[in-house]
Amino acid sequence: MDFELTSEHLMLKESAASFIKKDHSFDRIRELKNDPLGFSKDLWKKMADLGWMGFIFPEEYGGLELDYGYVMVLLEELGKGLLPEPWISSVLLGGNLILSGGTDSQKKEILPKIISGDLFVTAAYLEDNGRYDLNYCSTSATKKDGKFSISGKKIFVLDGCSADKIIVSVRTSGSTSDNDGITLLLIPKNANGITKTPIKTMDGRKTCMLELKDVSASEDDIIGNPDDGYSLLSDAVDKAAAGLCAEMIGGMNTSIDLTVSYLSEREQFGKAIGTFQSLQHKAADMLIQKELATSALYYAIASIDSNSKDTPSAISIAKAKCSSAFMEITKIAIQLFGAYGFTNESDISLFIKRAKVCEILFGDVNYYLDRLASLKGY
Amino acid sequence: MNVSYSQKEEKFREEIIEWLRENTPAEIKDQTLGGSTLDPELLIKWHKTLYKKGWIAPEFPKELGGTGFNITEQFIFNYEYSRYGAPRLKTKLMSVGMLAPLLLQFGSKEQQERFIPDMLSGKTIWCQGFSEPNAGSDLASLKTNADLEGDNFILNGQKTWTSMADHANWIFMLVRTDSSGRKQEGISFLLADLNSPGITIRPIEAINDHEPFCEVFFDDVKVPKENLVGKINEGWNLARALLGHERLNAFPIGEVIYALETVHDNAKKNIYKGKPLIEDESFRRKLALLEVDCYSLLSTFLRTLSQLKVGSAPGPEASFLKVYGGELYQRVMDLNIEAIGPYGQSWYNLDELDNSVHQATMGWINSRSLTIWGGSSEIQRTIIATQVLNLPRK
Repeated sequence: MDFELTSEHLMLKESAASFIKKDHSFDRIRELKNDPLGFSKDLWKKMADLGWMGFIFPEEYGGLELDYGYVMVLLEELGKGLLPEPWISSVLLGGNLILSGGTDSQKKEILPKIISGDLFVTAAYLEDNGRYDLNYCSTSATKKDGKFSISGKKIFVLDGCSADKIIVSVRTSGSTSDNDGITLLLIPKNANGITKTPIKTMDGRKTCMLELKDVSASEDDIIGNPDDGYSLLSDAVDKAAAGLCAEMIGGMNTSIDLTVSYLSEREQFGKAIGTFQSLQHKAADMLIQKELATSALYYAIASIDSNSKDTPSAISIAKAKCSSAFMEITKIAIQLFGAYGFTNESDISLFIKRAKVCEILFGDVNYYLDRLASLKGY
Repeated sequence: MNVSYSQKEEKFREEIIEWLRENTPAEIKDQTLGGSTLDPELLIKWHKTLYKKGWIAPEFPKELGGTGFNITEQFIFNYEYSRYGAPRLKTKLMSVGMLAPLLLQFGSKEQQERFIPDMLSGKTIWCQGFSEPNAGSDLASLKTNADLEGDNFILNGQKTWTSMADHANWIFMLVRTDSSGRKQEGISFLLADLNSPGITIRPIEAINDHEPFCEVFFDDVKVPKENLVGKINEGWNLARALLGHERLNAFPIGEVIYALETVHDNAKKNIYKGKPLIEDESFRRKLALLEVDCYSLLSTFLRTLSQLKVGSAPGPEASFLKVYGGELYQRVMDLNIEAIGPYGQSWYNLDELDNSVHQATMGWINSRSLTIWGGSSEIQRTIIATQVLNLPRK
């Protein structure tokens, strides 16, 4: 039983914090709102040069082979500043799928480029009418002359517009909601028959709707085994969700810091509004929620790093807790900031929007509650 | 980071469960939630059984009659004890749990030797005399007076909400020994024999129809001056130190998990629309939400434990284990009583209905006290805001 960060973890925390302080500001997020890409490729490259994209990958592909404690520390720092760079999609989602399902040649071809920051990979798996279910897959892949012909629609593909390659889940056998019969196919961004519609999200980031019409893929493009994509996908989405929880904890920390400063400085009735008990108690609730969420995250990360069989439960608990805590904290924050919190000028306004997107991303609270109940056998 | 206990710790855990299985009498098992209605004589007997086993003071070193458990073992013991459904030991809550650590920190060698062995063996039962009719959340405004005359303090005044006073033989208390300065100065910490002439104890019937707390009146009661703990007029420091001791053991996290499992059991047993209630979509979600919050709280304890283990001071999360734990416990009790449907209106009926019904209703009403005693949730939130978040006081 050990929930302590090592001195190496803490070193990363410090260097990430100083990097972000130097190269990032909340104004950059406001500017990127109107940028078609939604993040900075220059900054991404600098992050790659620091080795950050290689944390989870084996050394033979150019990675650092570190534990998820490092992922947690880094994403918490990125989350404090709301950095929109696509770490979660490219490393935890796309990268993890290649790592766990890819053939040696697929790994050799793709992972070094993800690590160097030269290639973006994401996954497209959500469909209309399936809400957050990973097994809901009606995108068809009929086989003709040894080739797949893919048709269907995927929604809200995370960083889908900027991705160079997309891993698409397709139905190769069984019916729409079966766990079995899903195959993962790696498709280049400019494949014939692909239409991407950019969709802006509340937090100023970019996602996309992906339509596929008779898109061609070969057997060599399969990630993992045919018909067996569900467990790979489920595992990668879990890791991405755990990473997102760390990002949310960072966001909660900044939300609380901003609010406490405001309460200490803003004066009404001749004194700082932070002296009023009704406001103090709300501030205390923010801290309580953050600490509980942090504990749930620590447990989930420690579960991943100790290969516990309860990892999916631990991640479900963490995602449900972090989502509701981040939402609750930012709602209180907006209330305590009063009218100023309702302006785009206030930094806190950026956080409530991000909290809503994070809550929905990879599955909302009810989704994880239902999943937890199933995993625990009730 | 790692979520598993070591092999040695795992073995230790199994030994404890095994012993509890073999030695816990049926009539005291699964009485936790409605605990206040358990016969005190049965509790004292159980206290003595644990004492004989050497497990009455998991937090103490061996030379003081404790177990010599390390911090992880203490946590495992307390957690598994509660989770098994063994009863809350109110007989040691005030003594081993609160007074003894204070005596070790502030008391004289004579006081330690005189009082600690008897509280471990169960020979003396202690109660706590802090609150007064006009000193609740504002504890420092207490007025029970103690004048030093010769070798004795002469006590006059009244304490209230004194749990177990009707079964206890000693009381530790805060008294006023000086009213000239700030109200926090001039408070002293005294130990008094409840059989002293001039003490009257009047039980107060609580909301659960039992008499779990009392008023204690002092009318020219003589207390020998060697019963003063620490220095005169510095009792407030002891009261504050007591809050420090509460930390990890302040809230029985094992009991929350036990209570949560009780909800599971009730939701499986009770049928709704032809199916176990636990399969009802809306109930299932409510239960899963509690599960998320309960396990997040458990993880918070484990985080604090992990910090204590490596010798670092607990972080801010330790400051709200009690306040959040109490509120969460209430939510678990709300869902538990919901699970049993019409049976949720039952009051006692110990002979007519299943024990689980009494546990659910009594547990529910008792849980209301959790956010009041030991510093109400409102007081705790003010402390978190001003001492942890450093918000301005004025």
